[in-house]
Amino acid sequence: MKRTSRLLGAASAIALVALGATPALAAGTTAGTDITNTVSVSYQVGGVSQTAETDSDTFTVDRKVNLTVAEVGSAATIVSPGETLAVTTFQVTNLSNDTIDIGLAATQQTGGAAAFGGTDNFDVTSVTIYVDTNGNGTYDDGTDQAVTYLDELAADGTKTVFVVSSVPSGLATNDIATVILTGQAEAGGGAGSEGAVLTSAATNTSGVDTVLADGNGGLSGDADYDGLYSAADDYKVLTAALTVVKSSKIVSDPVNGTTNPKAIPGAVIEYCIAVSNAAGGTTATGITVTDVVPSDLTFVAGSIKLDGTLTGSVCNADGTAGGTYTAGTTTVSGTLSDIAAGSDGTLVFQATID
Amino acid sequence: MNKVAHIFKGLFSVASLCAAILIAAPAAHAQSAVALDGKVKVERTETVDGEQRTVLAEPTSVVPGDKLLFTTAYRNTSAEPVENFIVTNPLPRAVMLAEADDSFEVSVDGGASFGPLAGMMIADGEAGDRPAKPEDVTHIRWTLPLIQPGEEGVLEYHAIVR
Repeated sequence: MKRTSRLLGAASAIALVALGATPALAAGTTAGTDITNTVSVSYQVGGVSQTAETDSDTFTVDRKVNLTVAEVGSAATIVSPGETLAVTTFQVTNLSNDTIDIGLAATQQTGGAAAFGGTDNFDVTSVTIYVDTNGNGTYDDGTDQAVTYLDELAADGTKTVFVVSSVPSGLATNDIATVILTGQAEAGGGAGSEGAVLTSAATNTSGVDTVLADGNGGLSGDADYDGLYSAADDYKVLTAALTVVKSSKIVSDPVNGTTNPKAIPGAVIEYCIAVSNAAGGTTATGITVTDVVPSDLTFVAGSIKLDGTLTGSVCNADGTAGGTYTAGTTTVSGTLSDIAAGSDGTLVFQATID
Repeated sequence: MNKVAHIFKGLFSVASLCAAILIAAPAAHAQSAVALDGKVKVERTETVDGEQRTVLAEPTSVVPGDKLLFTTAYRNTSAEPVENFIVTNPLPRAVMLAEADDSFEVSVDGGASFGPLAGMMIADGEAGDRPAKPEDVTHIRWTLPLIQPGEEGVLEYHAIVR
């Protein structure tokens, strides 16, 4: 006796076509997918095969909304005072099982602990959000587009987002500004327009309902299941802090020569201008030193020496010849080489007492 | 018998699926000795007075990761004993089996062969074969040798929405 089986009733083609296929999406089965369970039955009554029956039950997968915003790099963005286009980078990911829009907002923290150590103590200006239009992971001014939301981000889709700001001048090393990027789940479906904010459905229907299932970024104003996700990044100032010490000594006079010289007319005075860059900052560049030679003194032509060394805060009167002297304003000036943090440079010149 | 054989083939061909339903449907209502009722519920864990309880809810709110309970209730509505009652249940594509169970056999090859999950192997790309896991299961099959007249029962399996 041959047993037979038949498929009866309303069976979804999906259930039969892809037996055992595994969707690759981490976000899971796409919202709106109908799931139908179908069984086929065979049996015998009195040794005679009977008509098999099936029975099925269908329900619809709802929209599970989940998103994350993550800071990229796990470190503060180092900036200089007065810098424009200072960039912090974030990754925004749609973990929902549906295409959604994600609204973006960048806010500034006011005081409090910064994201990567230290305390927020200033605000940046001209804060603008850009999406990585060309997908290279790096902010490209003029190429990457300013946005207020991510349009039609597919399930499992991710975008790099840049928060670009200007840094005020007059800041010190280790000053910190913390910016917070918040993503908000919004309805997708209309390319080129921002969808309405998604909220959990108040009632369950047999159709597609929205269920907010997002976590939180550990920042205030961001809770589980609120459709929001936030991450913070810091702008940390690193600047050069220069100090200048000027000193002078008499190197010779017409009577005593170089032995215990006195400040008498005709004596030669050596001026030492020592420039020090504090440790912990950045290299100082383009350093120009100018000094007006006092009246009653006459500049000794060719006596300017640049980039010499110090003993304590006193010049060793070494270095290389250079600089200029402007007779009209009796001004000595010279451009020093770059001075790294924790290092110094000198400008030395001589004058005679009239 | 030729006609029946033709319908059986139709099961595995999407193109002829509609035709198979149309031909077979009228016969079902005339001769069913066993009444079947398929249901699906969502399993939710609730904490009541500090005690965790699993409650079953209608599948109106179902999202990926939710645990489901599929049940098929059967009852012998005829006056005769039913023998070799075999229920084959292809798993819907969007769900995966939560755990194997001694009460049913499984298939990981689209229903070609059935047996206990333990010991089953599945091709794993270039690496050769690996032991099959619950998420590899494509079909479940229950076999009941005998159902007496009026006897009824429930076949069930737990699954997770992919």
